[in-house]
This record gives sequence, C-alpha cells and structure tokens, in this order.
Amino acid sequence: MPLVARISERSTGLLYATLALFLTLSFTAVHAQPADAALYATGEKLFKGNCGACHKPDKDLTGPALKGARARWEGKGDIYAWIKNSSDYLKTGNAYANELFAKWNKSVMTAQALTNEEIDAVLYYADNYAPPAPKTADGGGARVPQGPNDAGAAWPWLVVLALLFLVVALSLSGVKKGLANAVQEAEGKQPLPERTMGQSIREWAWNNKAFASIIGLFFVVFIVLKLWDAAWVIGVYGGDEVEHYKPEQPILFNHTLHAGKSEAGNLAINCQYCHSSAEKSKHAGIPSTNICMNCHTAVNEGRSPEGTKEIAKIYAAVGWDPNTKQYTGKTEPVKWVKVHNLPDHAYFNHAQHVAVGKLECQECHGPIDEKMDVAEQWAPLTMGWCIDCHNQKEVKMAGNGYYDEVMARLNETDLGHSELKKYLEDDKISVKELGGWECAKCHY
Amino acid sequence: MSSTKRYWMDLGDLHQHPEAIKGRENEFPQDLAIDQVLGDQNFQGASTGRRDFLKFLGFSLGAATLAACETPVIKSIPYVNKPEDITPGVANWYASTFYDGEDFASVLVKTREGRPIHVKGNTRFGINHNPKVGKGSINARINSSVLSLYDNERLKNPMHQGADATWADADKAISDKLAAAATAGKRIVVLTNTVISPSTKAAVAALKAKYATVEHVQYDTVSYSGLTNANAKSFGSRVMPSYDLTKADVIVSVDADFLSSWGSTTEHAWQYANRRDPNGAMNKHFQFEARMSLSGANADVRVPMKQSELPLAVISLHDHIAKKAGAASVGGSKAEIDAATAKAAEALWAAKGRCVVMAGSNNEGVQVLVNSINNMLGNYGSTIDLAGHTYFKQGDDAAVAQLVKDMNAGAIGALLIAGVNPAYSLPNAAEFKAGLGKVGLTVSFSGYADETASLCQWTCPDNHYLESWNDFLPKVGHYTLAQPAIRNLFNTRQWQESLLKWSGSTQSYHDFIRSTWEANMASRGVMGLFADQWNQAVHDGVYQAYAATPAPVTFAGDVNAAAAAAKQAAAGAGEWELVLYTTEAIGDGQHANNPWLQEMPDPLTKLTWDNYVCMAPADVERLKLNMYLGEKAPASLVTVKAGEREITLPVVPAPGQKAGTIAIAVGYGRGENGEKVGKAACITDHNGEFKPVGRNAYPLAAMVAGSMSFEVLNVTVTPTGATYPVAITQTHLTHMDRHSVVKETALGVYKAGDKSAYNHAHELAVHEDVNGDGKINAQDKKSVLEFDLWEEHPVEGVGHRWGLSIDLNSCNGCGACVTACNSENNIPVVGKDEVRRSREMHWLRLDRYFSSDTTKESAKADGLGKIDMYLKMEVPSESPKVVFMPVMCQHCNHAPCETVCPVAATTHSNEGLNQMAYNRCIGTRYCANNCPYKVRRFNWFNYVTEQFGEVNPAWDDLGRMVLNPDVTVRARGVIEKCSMCVQSIQAGKLAAKKAGTPVKDGDIQTACSAACGNGAIIFGDLNDKNSQVRGLATSDRSYHMLEEVGVQPNVNYLVKVRNVEEEAAHHA
Repeated sequence: MPLVARISERSTGLLYATLALFLTLSFTAVHAQPADAALYATGEKLFKGNCGACHKPDKDLTGPALKGARARWEGKGDIYAWIKNSSDYLKTGNAYANELFAKWNKSVMTAQALTNEEIDAVLYYADNYAPPAPKTADGGGARVPQGPNDAGAAWPWLVVLALLFLVVALSLSGVKKGLANAVQEAEGKQPLPERTMGQSIREWAWNNKAFASIIGLFFVVFIVLKLWDAAWVIGVYGGDEVEHYKPEQPILFNHTLHAGKSEAGNLAINCQYCHSSAEKSKHAGIPSTNICMNCHTAVNEGRSPEGTKEIAKIYAAVGWDPNTKQYTGKTEPVKWVKVHNLPDHAYFNHAQHVAVGKLECQECHGPIDEKMDVAEQWAPLTMGWCIDCHNQKEVKMAGNGYYDEVMARLNETDLGHSELKKYLEDDKISVKELGGWECAKCHY
Repeated sequence: MSSTKRYWMDLGDLHQHPEAIKGRENEFPQDLAIDQVLGDQNFQGASTGRRDFLKFLGFSLGAATLAACETPVIKSIPYVNKPEDITPGVANWYASTFYDGEDFASVLVKTREGRPIHVKGNTRFGINHNPKVGKGSINARINSSVLSLYDNERLKNPMHQGADATWADADKAISDKLAAAATAGKRIVVLTNTVISPSTKAAVAALKAKYATVEHVQYDTVSYSGLTNANAKSFGSRVMPSYDLTKADVIVSVDADFLSSWGSTTEHAWQYANRRDPNGAMNKHFQFEARMSLSGANADVRVPMKQSELPLAVISLHDHIAKKAGAASVGGSKAEIDAATAKAAEALWAAKGRCVVMAGSNNEGVQVLVNSINNMLGNYGSTIDLAGHTYFKQGDDAAVAQLVKDMNAGAIGALLIAGVNPAYSLPNAAEFKAGLGKVGLTVSFSGYADETASLCQWTCPDNHYLESWNDFLPKVGHYTLAQPAIRNLFNTRQWQESLLKWSGSTQSYHDFIRSTWEANMASRGVMGLFADQWNQAVHDGVYQAYAATPAPVTFAGDVNAAAAAAKQAAAGAGEWELVLYTTEAIGDGQHANNPWLQEMPDPLTKLTWDNYVCMAPADVERLKLNMYLGEKAPASLVTVKAGEREITLPVVPAPGQKAGTIAIAVGYGRGENGEKVGKAACITDHNGEFKPVGRNAYPLAAMVAGSMSFEVLNVTVTPTGATYPVAITQTHLTHMDRHSVVKETALGVYKAGDKSAYNHAHELAVHEDVNGDGKINAQDKKSVLEFDLWEEHPVEGVGHRWGLSIDLNSCNGCGACVTACNSENNIPVVGKDEVRRSREMHWLRLDRYFSSDTTKESAKADGLGKIDMYLKMEVPSESPKVVFMPVMCQHCNHAPCETVCPVAATTHSNEGLNQMAYNRCIGTRYCANNCPYKVRRFNWFNYVTEQFGEVNPAWDDLGRMVLNPDVTVRARGVIEKCSMCVQSIQAGKLAAKKAGTPVKDGDIQTACSAACGNGAIIFGDLNDKNSQVRGLATSDRSYHMLEEVGVQPNVNYLVKVRNVEEEAAHHA
C-alpha cells in the first residue's frame, strides 16, 4: 500500500476516533438518567436477554410494547402470573388475558422463568425506557461504507488532464515541425526528413541525456513501485500485510450490528442462524432472503434512516409489501459480491472445520462481529496460512467415535504405536499428523 | 506350475508384428504435439526476430502482470426462498427409472445445486438391484444418459415445419386436425416403442376415448417379435418371459447376448455374476454364436458357428433333449453340429429344472423349438417365469410393416410418433418417408430434430427423462416411478401430457399418474393413506404391488412346423453371412449423440468412434486386408452388399468370429442427411468433412417370415482397396508383458484348494543360502515382498488404507465403470483423432486379453521342437478365451511414479492413496514412463477449447452443467489419473466424523464400484479388519498385478476361475 494512502487512512481513523469520543461525551452529558440506574440496567439486561426477540419497550412488535404494561394490567389480573406462564394463566379465564390473547393473533408467549423481582426490573426498564440518541455514522448503526475508490476519486480527472496535455504537446510539436520546415524552405534548403515519433523521441533523448536519464529513472522506479503494490494487492506475499478485500455490497449488511455482542448494543445473533449450511456443507452459504424475513417481517425500521433504506432493499428482493404485510410474488435475488475467493483447485469444507474441528468462525474470518460493519477478507487464505494452522491445531478427538477408532488402530500395532509416539512428542495430535498436510486432502 | 498358456493382447502382439513391437518400445507412440504448432505454415512464413520476440515477451509479461492485478469480482446469488431440502454444496439423490425401449433400470440420480450430474443403480430396490452387493446393475448407456440432458441440440421449443412455434398454436392446430381425421373416419396412429408405463397406456386410451379412430402401434427398433410370437403360439401369451439366472446351474445360449442386449440385461447381469462365484455353486455357461458377443466372451464353453448353422444347433439341442426325455425328435441337423451340442445337452439334462436355454434369433420357429426344449427340461416355473413375465418388447413387426403400407395407401389420418425413429431405423425407411407425406397430420415427440422429426409437420419435443414424471411396469406386479430431478431446461413438454391435452384434459401428467395409481390401488383394496404410499413409492422409486401367481404351463407349440421354419431360416447361405448386432456403448442408436459412449472402447474390439465389419482373422488374411491396426496402420475398407443394399466400412479382425460370417453394428450413421441429432453423432473426419460417426447398417435388415431379421445369409464382401483410419485403444497400452498380469484357473483346480497351483507367490533368487543346503543357487529364493527399494510407508494399522478388490470372475466387461468414472471425475472427451494417437484420457480402462490354445504341454505331446512350439503358440485358436480386466491407478504403496517426479507433484498419502496435485505438475511425464501399469494420462491440450468443442461436453455452457463441482477440471500440460475418487472418500470420512462414528464398510463407494452391480469392484478400508475388501484381499484368489515388480499396490485382483474341467491351471 502506498505510504500516502496509509497515512490518509490512519488520519481518517484518527478523525473518526475523535468524533466518536466527542459524541460519546456529549451523549453521556445529555442523556437523562432514570431514577434507579441499577434497576434500570438489570431490567435492560433481562429485557434484551428474554423479551427483546418479541417485544420492544416503546413499540409493538410480535408482542405489545411493554411500556405501560403494568398500568394496563392494574386491577385486571396478575401480571406476574401472566408473564411467567401465559397459557396457564389463560386457563384461569381471566378476561383481560383472553382479550390480549385474541388481539395478538392467539400467539402464546413463551413461559418465562423469572422471579417477581426480575419482572419488576424489566417493567421498570420498559416504563422508564428512553430511546438512544440517533446514531451517528460511527456509532454502530448502518454506516455507509467508504468505497475503495473514494480516496482516489480524482484520478479520472488526472487522466483526462494528462490526455489533454498530450494532445497539446503533440499539436505543438506538429506546429514546431511545420515552422521548422517553413524556415528550411524559406532558406531554400530541403525540408527536414520525415521522422517517426520514436525517432524524434530518441533524438531528443540523445540531445538531453541527463534529463532523459533522470526521467527514465523516475519512470522505472514508478513502474516498479506500482508492480510492487499490485503484488501486495493480489496477495503474492501473503501474511498479514494482504490488503483486506472489502467489496461494496448491494445491501449494506452490517455484520457487527447483527452478530456483535449484546453488551455493545448489538443483536448477538449466532452466525449459523443465517449461515446455517456451515455445519452441513462445504459452503457456509449466503443466507437466502427468506432467512432475513424471519426477523425483518417485524423489524422494518433500521436504527438509522439509512438502515431503513437497506431493509427496504430486502423487501424489494423478496417481494414483500411492508404496508399490507403481504408477499407480492415479485422477487429479485440479491447479487452479493463474493468476498472469500479460493482458487478452483483448492477444496475447502466449512462443515469439516465448524462441525468437526469446532473452530469459531472468527478464527478465520476475524472480528466480524466486532468491527466489520461490512464483511471483508481478514485472513490471507493462502496455502501457507492454511497449513500453518494445520500444523498447530490439535485435532478435537474427544468424544468422537471416528477418532476413537483412529486411536484404537494406532494402539493396535507396533508400527501404529511408534507413529502415535511420534505424534505425541509435542503432547498433542495435530491436523498435520493425521494427514492434514497431504496434497489430496485439499486438492482433487 | 510353469507357464502353459500364452496371453496376447492383440494380433500384432501375437504375431510379433514389427509395427506393434516398435510401438511398444515407446511409452507415447505419437511424437510431441509441438509438430502441430511448428508445422503451421503461418508460423514458418513469419518474420519474428529475436529482438521482436523479446519485445513481445516483455510486453506480454507486463500486460499479464497488470491484468492479473485486477481482483476478479465474483457474484454470489443465494435463493430468494431456499427450498428446505437443498443445501448448496451437498448432493441430493433422487430415485428414478431409466427406460428407453432398449434398457431398463431403477436408478439413483445425484443432483448438485439442482443439476443432475451422475446416475447410478438403485442401491435398495428394483429388478436390477443385486441384493448380494447392495448395488443396482446398470450399463454404460444408462449412466451416460445424464449427459444427454445437457445436449445443446435438444429442441428448445415446439416446431412447425422446421420453425419455432408455441404450445398454444401446436395444441390448437393438432387438436383441430385430429378432430378432422376422426370425423373423416381416418385412422389416428400412435407409433411408439414398447410402452411399459400403465399411465402412458391410459393416456393413449384417453386420446382414444376422445377420438374413436386412435390406434396404438408399438415398434421395437431391435425386434423380438419372433420370440414373443413364439410364446403366443407355445403358451398363448405374447410376452417376453422373465428369467431367473440365479436358479440356473447351466445356461445354454444360442446367439442370445443376454448380458448386453437380449432381454432384461441389467437383471441378467447381476444374476449371472452372483452365480460366477467359485466359492458358491458356480454355473456353467455354453454359448453358440458366430460373432464374439459379450456373453460369449464370458462363457465357459464357447462354440463358434456360422450364422446359418445356429438354427440347426437349436434343432440339434432339441433332438438331444427329446431323445433323453423320450419325446419325438424333429430331425434335420447335421452330424458335426450334433457333436458340438452334445456336451451342452448333457449338461442341461443333468440340471433339469435348474437350467435355461435362450436363443437370440428373431425367427418364430427357432423360438418355438427353444420353448419346447425348456419345457422338456422343466424350466418353466423355475428359471423361466411366464406368469411373472416382463412387459418388454411388445413390438409387432407385422403391424409396423402394415402401417407403412397403409400410410402409402393414404389410409392414415394422423401419425403421432414417440420414442422411435423409424425414418432412421426401418430397413424400408424410404418407403416410410414416402408414406409420411401422405399422412394428414404428422407429429413427432422427439427431443431432437432427428431423421423422423425433421420430416414431420409438427415436433412437440418430449422432456428428457430426468425432467419427467412417469411410471413403469417392467414385470407383473412390479411398479417403478420416474421423477424429475430438474425442472425443464427448455420449453418442452412430456408427450403424455400432450396426449392428455389433445384429449381435452387439463390435468398435468404427474396428477394423471397419481390418479391412475390411486384408482389402481383402490381397486385392489390396498389399505392405508394413498398419499403416504405414493410418497414412499416416489422415495424408493419402486413399488412392489403384488407377486405373480404361478400357473401351470402347457406347451402347445407345433415343433415340426417350427423345425421346418428353422430349417428355412438356415437355408440359402452364401459364401459370406452377415449378422447385425448392437454394441455395448451405442446400442440401437438412440444414444449415438453421447460423446462418453462414442469414446468408450468396445469391450471386445477396443475400437471407438466407428462401426465396422467384424471379420475372422483367417478371412482377413485370405482377403489380404490390413490385419494390424493402429495409429499409423489404418483399416481396409470393404463394401458389403446384401441384394440391392450396400455399405462400405472398415474391416476389423475380430478373434472368435466364425470364418465366413461377418458382423456389423447398427446404431451408427445418425444424421446422415444433416439432421441435428445431437452433439457427437457427427464429427469432423480425417478428411475434414463433418460426417456421421459410422454408417447406418439398419437398411441391411429385412422382414423374413413375418418378423424383422437381423441376419442376411448371403452377402458379398468386396475390398475397395482404400483404407480408413480407426481409433483403437488396443495396441497402445502395453503391459511390459503378459506374465502375471492375468491369472486364471479351472474350477476343479481351485476347488482342490492348493493355492500355489493357481496363484503362486512370486519369488526372486538371492545370493544367500536361504534353504540351508550349503549351496547358493537358483533354488535360494525369497518372496518379492521382502525386497524394498523404498522406505516403509506407515500404512498398515495406521488410520485408513483404501483399496479396491476386483473380481475377474464377476466382471463381464460391460464398461459401466468406465463411463461412471468419466461422469464422476470430469474426464474430457478427446475425440477420434486423439484416441487414434493414444491420447484418450480415461482414468479407468478395461483391458481385454485373448488366449492362445497351444500350451507347452500339448506341444511336448505333439513332439514339437522349441521353435515350432512358439510358432504354434502364436496361432490363434478359433475361439479364444477372453479375460476382462478393469485397470485403474493401482495406488502402489511403493509407487515408482512418486520417486521420479522432480517436483513432488505425485505423493503418497497416509491412507494409501497415490495423490496427484495438478498445480504442482510441470508435465515432465516421468511418472507415466515409470508406471508399470500405464494408467497415467497426460493432458496434451486444453480440452475445454473450441478445438474439442465438437466432442467435449465441457466446452459449451450447457454441457458444462454435468461437471462434478468437487473435482478440478484439469488444464493442459499436467498428468492426471485415478484418484480412487478421493472426493467421495473425503466426503464419507466427513460424514462419519460428523456422526461421531467410525466409517462403516460400504458407506464410501468409488464411482466404478458403485456402478458395478455385479460386485466385480469392491471398495473399502484395508485396515478395517471386518471390511469386505480386506476379506477379499487376503483370500486365496487375491493377487497383485505384476507382483514381481514389488510396488505393493492397494488394488488387488481375484484369479479368474472358469467352470471347465479339462484345462490345467494357468497363471503366468
């Protein structure tokens, strides 16, 4: 990466950091604190853990908004019993409960193993809920990603300018030649011999050796630098220095928001909720749009206006009319850009690594849940990187009948036993030792 | 025991022909392909100097580097609404049924991301399912059928007079014309192949209900009319009976190629194989025939006879049996034929009720006699089931002949043609074509604008069978279903649905089948919810409704009349007799457009991409035609004339062929008039002309005595003096020498139990006193297993060790494994010219060895000197014994290829596999040179280019859909070879790891082992003490090919055991 670009990226980062700090401070300053901050916090935590999937404090979702629930129940029944086990409570014949049940499409609320105190905390939180201040570009909301070309947006103009200069220079040289010929003619001499551009340049260079060499040197250095950079980009050198591939996607899906930790205000959805085939198939799979609709049937607003726009793109893709809450039948698949590209001759299987090797997604995909609002390639995905891991990782053999058989066979013969001893020199059986470095494990 | 019988690979080898010997010295007989580049005239005229070259080089390097910097943007588009049962990257298997009028099989279709990519036999159900090995028996045509789904020449819309039309227009126009024809009282004929689908018959009946003049005529391209008519005369039911070869101790076949083309072949194949196990009760098989058929090649006793002698052989068999049974004989055979059939008759009589006689003849008389023989032997109700008969081959030649006449007489109002191609396959095709013009409405349901469809007014293209719903009733009470594995690729419609539409129904064919089934089940009082039963039937692909009720069989045929007809069929023989046959690959010609099949070498002649005249070597010599065929040795052309009809084809010497009889395969020469019949039916030949592959031999057939006869007893053969290049894989793959490649023995020797008599261990003399007699001499030997050039690989007892065990007894040479391997491993099709240069890419080949009968013992007895003995050993026997041997990479534990690779592109895995990393390979081909088995293939070209577009399916976007996404498509300049389907091994291991259990024996199958329903190829883990493959590998019959080389392969072979008494053991 060119030095300039690096500096510019760092400074942008610094800028964002300052901005964030400032916003955080100001947010803290203006945000009204509830009377019992501790109870509010407990309630918030419980709410997010148990209720958030179906309720919002201030809006109806699958279930009703919880703000004011206590007041609504006042004198009509036992809200604690209702929350703890709604279907049991319905059987008591409570009129309000049955009215609510009918109103909310007769969907039974999951029984909640909460104490009365905890319910108090949740309701306290809901009653005192204050929506967070609108998110800024940096706040974990739907930040518009910086396109890879943003920084260099001036280059087409530079090219245009360069072309203009070239045209001017060529016409000038034509004029000059014409004038020189005119002079020759005026002096009664033969016109200058017609020369090709190459010859002219060569002659000029011969006459201005020092200057030409300096220009030439610069040119060579420039080309070498460019090639060097290009080689970085295509991952020739491998390692951590590889440029992270982060293409612009048709929908600005925010991984951090969806999969990030709930403490940070994110949704903490398990990766495999959407990438469900990671356990079953070689492909982790890009979730089909109907998976999005599991939540986004209800969640039709983003945390920012931009977010809402992006959600609308899902609706357009799947053919959902958010107003009538009906499918229109007109669909348009989302054309995602593939981020992790392996060469054709390399076979990689997610299921092997996720279901059998029990790796966390982050081990190869990086902190996708923490700081990747837009998915990017984190690991170099070179063969060196693969086999490095195969060399270090211990095979998760415990409790797997397949590996029990492998161990049983190793213990059966002398040859096997001596092999096993070799394996265990470093007190573990690595992937490599069971054949994880062999060609036809990945290439066939 | 020392060497007694010599095996030879081809006639060139046998006669030590200088060309053949020279060819054997070179690993790659063809010079480098660089000649083609440097020989290019354009290049020679070019004036590129060294400096220019360097400039270009520099520029290209820079440009390529810059171009490479661009990160490719790959789009990834998920489903909008993902179907529940599809997971991208995981294969789904669907049970279905393959039936094309010629072959029948219950199959499993493998789909990936919704694309069918592989077909194998049903592993649980169906008449082709072999319960002993848990696999379904299929042939090459069946597993190659998946490729024809992606043929770009398939019709993409309905056609009217050669132009695209819409279904609405077609329906309207055709309905109107049908109504007009019915009103005018003119006949509406539905001409099909044998329909075994109850729902299709119901659909035809629905059309008849609407238009009273509808008639259904069935036409079998390769006819069995004679046989079914004979059954009508003998037993009153015009059917093809069902044979149970598992019950047959003795099989006598007179020209019936029951393993390849005659009757229910996929069923016969596994039944026959199960009875070839020398540890069980092995059957004894006699074959009388003129050309060497696949069944003949497998026979214990094969008697070559002229075609005209075969009816007499049946008479003679009849009289032998009649004599023993005390019945009247018919008489009329000859003494020498009586002698030839005596042994077979004796064996039959000894196995009364446990034997079967079959005849391939389409002569009614011959078949009545065969019925009489089987009746006298009491085979009905045991080996032959008339009550539980098949529904195959219902075609009626007489009705077809009458139809052609009626068409010409203008009596037919409308003709709807499905599943047959009479304009190509009828001997009187010209008459048929003329008649077509006189029919008011002609509609073809063909998926291609083929010979017949291109002459019809309308073509309403049928779906490919993998896009279709259908039901089948191959046998009494045994129903099967076909379900679509992919949605229609093109704007096609099932022809049954078209019939329903025209009969005024709006039902889809799927609903129609369901309703027929529901009504059928209700009428038989089947209990339970229909939806459940239907779903189960779709899941299994098979529904066993009921078993046939056995009924007593009374033979009512007139044997004397039959004998007269048979003698008539034997009369009029001339100098040359001709028999037409179908090959293992192309069959009756429906699949001639399938490049996998065209490139599959014929099991016996090893020829690809052509049909030809099979001629006895003695005749070839007599006519002074080219005997030794090869890359630079073309075949001689002859013109065969039968009456007015003639055909010019190359001559291929075929050992085992009876002198005086020639054989020509039908099914070739598709698209002669430029019809678009599919991808590989026509190719650019050696003269640069775009021509059909082979020539059409159907016109040589003729109607004789009311049924189609595929033999002509009086033809002339005239050499034209010209030659024709042929692509033969036979001479290319030399095996160092034959010793210790093939081991075979007689059943008696095997049963005696002395392993050293038929499968001796290989030993090498060493310079130490091994036997302790105080002397060091040739008697001091050690087992080859004790010698090692290589370091010990830790394979035994460590993890898995994958291996294959190949039973030379069960292998009948059908070649289904070859095409299964093509399909699974994305093997390129290279075309005739490249095969001719021995550059075929097959990872698995089927070697065929002929034997020579003279032995050292017999020579000694005859008092021959050494030179005379060897000369005599080179004389081919009239009917050589044949051994088929599937050869793939042997995955040597001490692999010679691995040692010589300079870049470690081929290495050994800890699971015993010899791995090939294409991206490391730099193409030195040292490995291929050092491989004793010659199983490594070099990619001379990028086969995914226009140069090979004519033949290679991976060239066009549609054909590419058949590729297996788990296997790399190899690029030019690398070596490739059998990987033992490592992708399936890895997938199987992963499944076990996910389930947390050890790999279960049999759960992992290679493509070849899964394709072999005969159980000839068994795959498994040699380190698993309880696996079937380990049991076989450690059995007495197990040996390694070229064991003395000491490469310790993971593939072993089981000694071939023949059920013959007279022969001594043989191994070297």
